[in-house]
Formats: sequence, C-alpha cells, structure tokens
Amino acid sequence: MTMETATSPRSSRVHPRPWLAAYPAFFRISMLSNIQYRVAGAIWMIGMILEPLIYLTVWTTVADSQGGAVGGFTKGEFAAYYAFLLLVNHLTFTWVMHEFQYRVQYGSFSFALLRPVHPIHEDIAMNIAFKIVQLAVILPGILVLCVAFRPTFEPVGWSLALFVPVLALGFLIRFLFEWTLAMAAFWTTRVNALNQMYFSLQMFLSGRVAPIALLPLWVSDVAQHLPFYYAIGFPVEVALGRLSPEEAIKGVLLQLAWLAIMGAIIALVWKNAARRFTAVGS
Amino acid sequence: MVRAIRLLGVFLRIGLLGEAQYRANFVIQLLETGLGLVTALGTIWIVFSQTDTLGGWGPAELAALVGVYFIVYGGIQLVVAPSLQKFMEDIVSGNFDYTLTKPADAQLLSSLSEVRVWRVADVVLGICVLTAAIIRESMTVGWPQTLQFLLALALGSVIVYSFWIILATLAFWFIRIDNLLQIFWAMYTAGRWPVGIYPEWLKWTLTVVVPIAFAVTVPAEAVSGRVSGMTFLGAAALALFLALFSRWFWRQGIRRYSGASA
Amino acid sequence: MSPVIELDRLSKSYVVPVRDAGIRAGLVSLFKRKTRTVEAVKDVSLSIEPGEIVGFLGPNGAGKTTTLKMLSGLLHPSGGRASVLGFEPWKRPNDFLQQITLVMGQRNQLIWDIPVVDSFDRNRVIYQLGREVYRQRVDELTDLLDLGELLTKPVRNLSLGERMKCEVAAALLHHPKILFLDEPTLGLDVSMQRRLREFVARYNKETGAAVLLTSHYMADVEALCPRVVVIHHGEILFDGRLVDLIEKFSAQKTLVLELEESTSAEALALYGDVVSASEGRATLRVPKKETAEVTARLLRELKVQDLNVADPPIDEVIDQIFSGAAR
Repeated sequence: MTMETATSPRSSRVHPRPWLAAYPAFFRISMLSNIQYRVAGAIWMIGMILEPLIYLTVWTTVADSQGGAVGGFTKGEFAAYYAFLLLVNHLTFTWVMHEFQYRVQYGSFSFALLRPVHPIHEDIAMNIAFKIVQLAVILPGILVLCVAFRPTFEPVGWSLALFVPVLALGFLIRFLFEWTLAMAAFWTTRVNALNQMYFSLQMFLSGRVAPIALLPLWVSDVAQHLPFYYAIGFPVEVALGRLSPEEAIKGVLLQLAWLAIMGAIIALVWKNAARRFTAVGS
Repeated sequence: MVRAIRLLGVFLRIGLLGEAQYRANFVIQLLETGLGLVTALGTIWIVFSQTDTLGGWGPAELAALVGVYFIVYGGIQLVVAPSLQKFMEDIVSGNFDYTLTKPADAQLLSSLSEVRVWRVADVVLGICVLTAAIIRESMTVGWPQTLQFLLALALGSVIVYSFWIILATLAFWFIRIDNLLQIFWAMYTAGRWPVGIYPEWLKWTLTVVVPIAFAVTVPAEAVSGRVSGMTFLGAAALALFLALFSRWFWRQGIRRYSGASA
Repeated sequence: MSPVIELDRLSKSYVVPVRDAGIRAGLVSLFKRKTRTVEAVKDVSLSIEPGEIVGFLGPNGAGKTTTLKMLSGLLHPSGGRASVLGFEPWKRPNDFLQQITLVMGQRNQLIWDIPVVDSFDRNRVIYQLGREVYRQRVDELTDLLDLGELLTKPVRNLSLGERMKCEVAAALLHHPKILFLDEPTLGLDVSMQRRLREFVARYNKETGAAVLLTSHYMADVEALCPRVVVIHHGEILFDGRLVDLIEKFSAQKTLVLELEESTSAEALALYGDVVSASEGRATLRVPKKETAEVTARLLRELKVQDLNVADPPIDEVIDQIFSGAAR
C-alpha cells in the first residue's frame, strides 16, 4: 500500500472510505504499544482469567453437592462453558468506559476530533490489536483451566462454524454499547457509578456469573431479550452447541436487531457529545 | 501508639475536609458500594437457588462472609491503599524527601497520609450485611464468637497491612509497581467465596502468597465459632512473621533510598 | 560557640549503570552490568556557626543538592563524617528532625485540595506542638509573610508565589534551628523573591537559626549570604566572604573614566580592553595585577576628571569560575 501525501499530484483521489484506510495504521501503532506494555497487559489478564475460574469453582462445588450436575450442566460442561466464556469475554471486552473519563479530563479528545476519521474506528482497531497480543496470555490461561477442570466438549459442526460470525456480532454489540455509555463522560465527571451499574447488570445478565439457564426463570427471561447476553453468553452457548438451530437463528436475528439499535443510538448521541465537548472547550 | 492515633485523627480530618467539598461523592460512593453489595448478594442468591450448601457454608454464613469481605475491603480502601498509593507517587516525584525529614516514623506517616473518608460506606454496609446475616439465621453469637471474630479480624488486618507494606516497599527498587497492586485486587475478588472451595494450588496461593484467606474467610468462620485453635495459632504466627518481616523490609527500602547500601 | 554543622571530608558517590544505545548493548547489559562510579561530592569539609547564612553556589550537578540532602538526613554519605546539631543526620533521630527544616523550591508539601491552615495543622501534630504555641506561631508567620486570607484558601487556588510563602511558613512552624533551603525562589517573580529573602533574613536575625541556601539567583546570595561556598564537580572551590570571592576569582578590574576631552577608542586601547568609549566616558577592563600601574599611567598621560575602579558583576565572576574550572 502506498501512502499519498497532500502534495502528491494524485491527491485528489481520496480513498472512498477514509476510515477504512486508517485501520492499518491504527492497527500497527496499537500493536507496537501493546507489545511495549506487555507486562502491564499480562498482569491485567490475571484478573481476566481469575474471574471465570472463581465462578467455575463455585459451580463445580455446587454440582458436586447436587450429585454431579446442576441446571443441565455437568461439571465437565461447566468447565467447557467457562473455558469458552474466558475466550469470548476476552475477545469482546473493551476499556472505553474507563478511558473516556481520562480523555475528556485531559483533553486528548481534541486531537481525535481534529482528524477526519470518526474516533470510534481508532478504538476498534486498537482494541482488536490488543486482543491479538493478549491472546498469548489468554490461551495458556484456557489451557490451565482445561487441565485443572477437565471439560467435556463435543463439538457440533454447524454450531461451531456459526460461532465465528456470532462472536464478531457480539464484539460489535458490546463495543457499541460500551462506547455509547462511555460518552456519559461528556456530561458528568462521575461516570464510575454508571459504569458500576452497567458491570453489575452485565455480570448477571450476560452469563458471566452463571449460564443464564441457571438464573431464576424470570431473570433468564429478561436476560434473553437484552444485549448483555447477545454479546457474551450467546456466543459461548453457540460454540458449545447447546442451542437448537431455531434458537440459534432467533439469537442471530436479535443480535442484528441490537446492533442496529446501538448504531442508531451512537449516531444520535455522538453528534450531541461532540458538540458539547467543543462547547465546553476542554 | 498514642502518636499513631493522633496522626490518624489529623489525617482523617484532612481527608474529611478534602472530600467535604465534594459531598455528592458520598452518595455516589454509597451507590457504588451498594451496587457491589447487591451484585455479591445476588450471586449468592443464584447459587443457593440451586443448592443448600456450598462447601459446607449455608446462605447466611456466606452472606456473613460477604459482609466481612466488604468491611476488610473498605478498611484497605479507607487508609492503607490510598496512603501507600500516594507514597509510591511520592517516591517517583521525590516528595518522599519531605516525609523523611519529619520527626515521626516514616512508615507510620506513609501508611496514614491519605484517608478516603467516603470509603467508610463499605465498612458500614459490610457491618449491616454481617449483622443482618446473623439476625436472619438467628445464629447464636455470644461473647466467645464476638471475641473470636474480633481477634481473627485483627490478625487478618495485620496480615493484610504487612502485605501491603511489603508491596509498597518494592517501590524503592522498582519504580512502577502499580501492576502488582492490580494483581492484589484481582486476587482479592476471590475472597468473596470461602477459600476452601478452590483447587489446592489456588487455596494455597490465597492463604500464603496473597493472604486473603486470613483476612476474610477466617474472620467469617469465626462469626459462627468454627475456627480451630490451630488456625488461630497459624494466623497469629503469620501475622507476627509478616509484621516483623515487613518492618525489616521497609527499613531496607529506606536504606536503599538514602543510598546507605550503595 | 561551637559550630552547628561540621563536615569532615564528606563524600558521596553513586554507582550508575552504563548502557550503550542499541538492542545488542541492551541484551549484553542484561547479563553483564557495566557500571560507573559518579562522585557527586568529594571530600567536602566545612563548618558553620550558629546564626550563619551560607550560600551554596555551583552549576547544576555540582553537588549542592547532594550535600544538602546528606546534611538534612536524606542521603547516606559514602565517606567522611558530618555532624549537624551534634547528630549524625542520616540516622534521622526524631530529636534531630525536630530541629531542622527543608524547603525545596520545586516541590510542595502542602496538601493540594484543602485550605493551607489544615496543612499547617498536620505539621502541628507531626511536630507535636502545643495548641497555644502553634496558634502563636501561625499568627506570627501570618504577620511576617502577610499570609492573611491565603490561610483559608485551598492550595490549588494559590499562585506560585503565594504557595511558596505558605510552604515556607509550614516549614518553620516548629521553629527549626537549621534551615535547608534548596532553590527556594525558583520560578518566583522578582518582588516575591525579594519578599522571601527579606523574610529569611529576618527569621535568621530574630531566631539565630543557621541557614543553608542554594540558589541559581545571584541576587538571593548577594542579598542574604555574607559567606558563600562554591562547589564544582563535587569539590569546594571557595569558602569565604562574598567580597573575597570576587577578589580572588575576578582576574580583571573595571575602570570607569571620565575624561576632559574625548579620546578615541584606539588611543584608549593602549591601556586595556575597551568596553565602551564615547563623549569623554569610557570603560576599560584591565588585568587585576596591572590595575595600579595602568591607573597611574592613565592619570599621568590623560586628562582624567574622575576614575573609578570596580569589580565586574558577580554573575560574570561566577560564570568565569565555572567555565574556568570546567576546563
């Protein structure tokens, strides 16, 4: 790929999608800085790995006391569930909600707004680069979990194939969701309480605390209509092959619906947020 | 000791003054802690909708554990964590020089220098949950249990504090150790469940390497008087050892800072 | 009276890792650390009497701050002895710390978010001052430094100058017998510098405290310090009165002439380096040794109305010392 400068004679040939053209550059920069901060990243990952490990332990203990299985999950199936959850949670998580506060506070948004590319693209590219680098930590984590807890996993061909697009959709849903909430930082400096509320809801409704089939009936009913589940729990269950084809298709349709809703909200809120940011002038 | 209390008093007052301008923070903090608590209790509720006992712990005992978890968490976040965080920043900025020129013990000053008063919310809510758990289950908590609980909590506090001092002291050698603190917090979340349910390697890590078992699980067990004399002996031994070791290590750190060993 | 500070061949050397640029060198250094010893302070001996104000002069990295840090107990020396108020400072006994204070111009110890007076209160507890004594001293310092309404403002709302005044006040609440001031006027405007200097002089006079001061601003040293210690590359180049410093180190004198008739610069050049010459006024530089002879010749050969022999400005002298010593 050749880079063109503004002075080049062919500079009138602008890339049809400038934001797409920017991805490789964002990607490369982020890769480099992630490798730079690999220690910090690796340590952050410990928390990432520990959480599913804790809940897996809890549910294994429960399954033990209930004669080996609970809520349709055997010990081995719990282990498989949390192994995939670890992967999915890692691949879909974002840090934008923490990051926005700093950006607004220290005015680094000013630079982002000056670029002719919507800032969300840089975030997405950086996020993906980070994920790839950190897989080096996550995969051994999954391995440890597998050795310690011996998952039972019988792959279902079509379901496993569907996992990849479902995961991608899940990533986008979670990304857009959290990016939208992160914009709250433009209106208030106290976003922590909001973040905390989001995380608490997410813990229960996404399947992180427990597979949602184990939640009390009405809670799992609610969860099946909210985006939390479609970002995390749903991809995990697709990978495990626990869903019937009908359930899977219904799930994908709901994913698409949530993606559309999130996209619309972001477009709406971002305009106001950017205006507000320039008005405050920080 | 009198000195320490007076210092804590003045730093508390200063913390209160600093935060008083942001009174809304208290409400926010209460809200955040409340949410954390609801999450923790909600999780217990879900677990116990599927079983009656978790590794020998009933729902009320586990709720009591959550209460203790929040009390200890609040205690760390109230003084120890912010103070030592500031200490590490001071090492980087060189402001630690000022601490050393004060006629009071530098470790004491560094451990108390910042009080985030609104973190009291964690302690208060933790006590509420603990009390509610005791009342609901109509556990018989008489003097022996209360004393055992307080003793276990005191020993656990010494252990956690010493552990933090050791972590913070590393800042004399390695400037950037915030990452280590991250590990501590990540491991600490494991303390919301009885340490006994974890696989052996994790159990030992949580007992010896990052001593959360003694800070949370053991005091929670003491509430229902289930702690054996051996455990108390072990906790006391560890507390004594860590207290002495952390003090010695801190001195080494100061020696290094002032270039005595170089 | 016995000296309050005594240094006997005090030295401090650091071992610093040496790393060449490049990845290869980086890898090599992982296994074999190359180190270098830097002697920050070399065999410094001096003694300071109670009530003295001594200025430490020297370029950046000369060893001023290192010396100050050893004397205030922050650094352990690698050789020699020092006694401050009869204590070995780096042992930092409370009795010693209770009697000294350290002010560093580029750092602050006041607490950022709360009113100044509450930072004072912290020091009251740390230094274990009685409430009565404390109140009296706050009043006294408020008076002297004109702190007035600053006391109730949060530190973050103060200007640099205001903050420095408060820093100094906080540092003096316990009436220390020795003041270590490291660049106390750094970044302050001229009038604030003067205020602070006057205050230090007054505190010194009224309490008889000894003051050790480092500063980049010659004006500070000129105004405050009858005695200066010049440090360069960790060694003492000069220790004595400021006037003697100039006497010793300025290789030249400045002659300012008023002549009855205007004389060309060429003609004047026969006597020395011409700095300026116009309309019967001229300024010449002559080597110090030849001053007497040149003056005699001038008086003899030209119609001199007035002749003044002066020392060059102190800044220039200092500059000369350091560039000369750096050779």
